[in-house]
Amino acid sequence: MDLTFLIASAVKVLIVLGFVLLGVPLIVWMERKVIGHMQDRIGPQRVGPFGLLQTIADGIKLFFKEDIIPSGADRVVFIIAPALPVITAFLALAVVPFGDTVHIAGHAIPLQVTDVNIALLWILGTTSMGVYGIVLGGWASNSKYPLLGGLRSSAQMISYELAQGISLVSVIVFTGTLSLASIVQQQEHLWFILYPTLFLSFVIYLLCGIAETNRAPFDLAEAETELVAGFHTEFSSMKFALYFLAEYANMMVVSGIAISVFFGGWRGPFLPPVVWFLIKLSLFLFFYVWLRATFPRLRYDQLMAFGWKVLLPASLLNLVITALWVGLTG
Amino acid sequence: MLEPILFTLFSIIAIVFAFNVIFRRNAVHCALHLVGVLLSLSGMFVLLNAPFIAAIQILIYAGAIMVLFLFVVMLLNVKGDAALLTPGGWKGFGFFFALIMFVELLYVVLSQGGTEGTPAQTIALPPGFGSPAEIGRILYSTWLFPFEVTSILLLIAVIGAVVLAKRKFA
Amino acid sequence: MPAWTVPLEAYQLVAALLFTIGLIGVLVRRSALIIFMSIELMLNAVNLSFVTFSKQHAQMDGQIFVFFVMSVAAAEVAVGLAILVSIFRSRETANVDEVHLLKG
Repeated sequence: MDLTFLIASAVKVLIVLGFVLLGVPLIVWMERKVIGHMQDRIGPQRVGPFGLLQTIADGIKLFFKEDIIPSGADRVVFIIAPALPVITAFLALAVVPFGDTVHIAGHAIPLQVTDVNIALLWILGTTSMGVYGIVLGGWASNSKYPLLGGLRSSAQMISYELAQGISLVSVIVFTGTLSLASIVQQQEHLWFILYPTLFLSFVIYLLCGIAETNRAPFDLAEAETELVAGFHTEFSSMKFALYFLAEYANMMVVSGIAISVFFGGWRGPFLPPVVWFLIKLSLFLFFYVWLRATFPRLRYDQLMAFGWKVLLPASLLNLVITALWVGLTG
Repeated sequence: MLEPILFTLFSIIAIVFAFNVIFRRNAVHCALHLVGVLLSLSGMFVLLNAPFIAAIQILIYAGAIMVLFLFVVMLLNVKGDAALLTPGGWKGFGFFFALIMFVELLYVVLSQGGTEGTPAQTIALPPGFGSPAEIGRILYSTWLFPFEVTSILLLIAVIGAVVLAKRKFA
Repeated sequence: MPAWTVPLEAYQLVAALLFTIGLIGVLVRRSALIIFMSIELMLNAVNLSFVTFSKQHAQMDGQIFVFFVMSVAAAEVAVGLAILVSIFRSRETANVDEVHLLKG
């Protein structure tokens, strides 16, 4: 626990924090522009060049809005609830490797805030803690629609957690390790997505990830046309901004894990590793936005049926096949 | 140096939150304080060289079981009962009995007679102690039968929960 | 700076204290849900005790037992809450003092 380690960790924490906080406005801008162009319109174009400052302007607007706490709402829980998904998203981002080991002044510093040997379990644990922000936000609002939206949304999240975990277990069976850094190390020659059973794992993981982050087409519980706005109806000003931030930070977490586990992490020819990671992250986020622009949303019972009756058996079958394959080929 | 600080922090949080679990009237607040206890216990597991157990404590206990508790509390909208410290009924007996139990536990933990089985000096831990690989190795060799029985138990629990909570469309 | 380590009896003490607090909760509270939560508190105190013993004797068996305790606790919570939900549906109360008739 020497000084270099502490300083390096502090710098890495600040980098990750800063990246997420500055990246989210960019992602929101990209989403509005891309959806706009997919819908044959232009999207934000007046505030700043190409509308880049639009999100900042929205953030400033949200900051100055009146912060209303409904009467009869549970004050302490109401104030804490929006912070929970953000905290869990940042905790999960702490184990995502965003670059190779750099050597500065004779010290080898891995570009990952911390490398725990149970990284994948840690990620599953923190994403399951993210449910609390939703369910508590819905309950603390003391109002019908948020409560229903919050319960539906959290039931959706815990249902899809199972298939997500089991799809990652097939990767663990294949690699024999839980640590993300060593999973990226093992993808030196071939990215894991190019193996057939692991490709199916990736598909299941991605679908579950989209359902976990409550994004379209699985966003029934928080869409504006349903249930008013779901669990975040009563939240205004910075609390709403926090939920908004949490949604995009969780998108980054899911993308970061998928990149590290299936797409070779920061690996790629010619360009420096961090640049490759950012390129892959941008592609994933573009895919998220593309899905939102393209698909109609699933009805709630279709969503739950899909998670329990299709994804969970598929991931279990995939796990059995992967385990057989690993066991037979040694 | 870090371990005593973390241990003190985690144990204070655990004990204060545990008192809140039994003293609060609002059931949701009790559940949230219980989640806090579970998280601080998870931290203590990490200090005790049990990282896998710590991770699944968060994943299963705090992440799934307590969410289930919260769901039931919210759906049933349970109103709080009378405050704990009002005299009435057998509450005094309950406190007294718990105090006796605590004294007994203190005896077992601290006295010479109670600690006969513990090793005299600290045994060095083998490498990989508490890691998932080690747990997997033991779980599937020595403890295979309890593992299989537990899986059947969980299946029974799933079926039982579904049957018990179903509405009867008579 | 001397390397202070925490004596393992301290962990046992914390476990004993948590167990007692859970026991108070079970004996004194009247709401069935809070009693359930106090039982979970007791189970967790026992888990802490098991992991401490595991470290004391340098054997993994304590941690394996914690694994089993957790799975059994999960099963118990699921079934127990299902029972609670069906009692609450028919009697409209979760107070254990009022659920004292076998009828209904």
